[in-house]
Amino acid sequence: MSRGSGGGYDRHITIFSPEGRLFQVEYAFKAVKAAGITSIGVRGKDSVCVVTQKKVPDKLLDQTSVSHLFPITKYLGLLATGMTADARTLVQQARNEAAEFRFKYGYEMPVDVLSKWIADKSQVYTQHAYMRPLGVVAMILGIDEEKGPQLFKCDPAGHFFGHKATSAGSKEQEAINFLEKKMKNDPAFSYEETVQTAISALQSVLQEDFKASEIEVGVVKKEDPIFRVLTTEEIDEHLTAISERD
Amino acid sequence: TTIIGVTYNGGVVLGADSRTSTGMYVANRASDKITQLTDNVYVCRSGSAADSQIVSDYVRYFLHQHTIQLGQPATVKVAANLTRLLSYNNKDRLQTGMIIGGWDKYEGGKIYGIPPGGTVLEQPFAIGGSGSSYLYGFFDQAWKEGMTQEEAEKLVVTAVSLAIARDGASGGVVRTVTINKDGATRKFYSGDSLQLWHEELEPVNSLLDVVFASSPVPMVS
Repeated sequence: MSRGSGGGYDRHITIFSPEGRLFQVEYAFKAVKAAGITSIGVRGKDSVCVVTQKKVPDKLLDQTSVSHLFPITKYLGLLATGMTADARTLVQQARNEAAEFRFKYGYEMPVDVLSKWIADKSQVYTQHAYMRPLGVVAMILGIDEEKGPQLFKCDPAGHFFGHKATSAGSKEQEAINFLEKKMKNDPAFSYEETVQTAISALQSVLQEDFKASEIEVGVVKKEDPIFRVLTTEEIDEHLTAISERD
Repeated sequence: TTIIGVTYNGGVVLGADSRTSTGMYVANRASDKITQLTDNVYVCRSGSAADSQIVSDYVRYFLHQHTIQLGQPATVKVAANLTRLLSYNNKDRLQTGMIIGGWDKYEGGKIYGIPPGGTVLEQPFAIGGSGSSYLYGFFDQAWKEGMTQEEAEKLVVTAVSLAIARDGASGGVVRTVTINKDGATRKFYSGDSLQLWHEELEPVNSLLDVVFASSPVPMVS
């Protein structure tokens, strides 16, 4: 019986193939892209912004119940790209962990600590036979008391890295190419520039001009470090500014 | 301790003295007994400082989780209920009397008294701590339905200063927190700015100033 190059290993548990690959983890990355959504994150001088597409798959769905942006605490936001159902269990656990951290240690959970915690959980899913990796790439944003604005990305393999700007989802590579040009020689974006760079990166890779209701934008600013989801009116103002700029 | 919570037309005023004592010894003369639980809910603590601190820490923790899951501010009632659960379930081990006060969009300004044992009482005003014994008659006479913010704040400061004058376990400064739809505002009234009541003595210089004065000054004229 022909099994192809997979040799059947991928049908079972998360065991290395003879080539040294973990198929289940690779499939999890594919699952993220399969959702057909692209997300962008940009870090400015004293703000961070994440943008994602908001596709309402069914005309009868209530728009307000579709979201990929999750507040973890008042100060930490999470943008999930991929399978939202998987994201919600992750979000619930992250919220509990962040609240417990605040209670136990008496200060807010730092962005890198939460990101590491999420990444470490994902890594464990690549070892146990009775689990499967999450079909989610999580971008975590917040303001660190010492280091300032922070943007992290955690993937199903358990990698986590801080970024100046990054992307996840179906057009990830195209978006990264775009952002690499924009972020050359440390541009130190203002809040408006940060949000507008993120939105225009998404516009550029998707080759379309979307309405305010078709994207979601999450932000944190240094002066008032609360995680906020922008309203459609606020998004519209940025879209107008971008079209007038171009 | 003296702690007070009063509702007024549009919100609540919480008040407290600042004395923490271990027996006769004043361990802290400027304590803050009004603790923040969320943006819109505060608690006045009395009884064991250690016990009331840990209870309010747990309530804050649960309220934060509740707020983030709900996606909107927790109500004052939820805060009172969490405090009650902890007070009731651990009644053998706790010595705490608390007054929860705050504002939410559903019920406006609310005061909940939670005496030792874990009862919850929604009240138009609540008084607590050792100093409250001296205030029941005063509140029966002075509290009015539908006061303005200024009237309520004045009532609270007067009441705490009256209790400080009579109660040995209350003293120091008066702290207040006013909570309404616009948020919470803290106020501070230093001990020497408070009105002097029956037979209270004028403030005198520190004993050190007297001892090191160049000419002898009688401490009591």
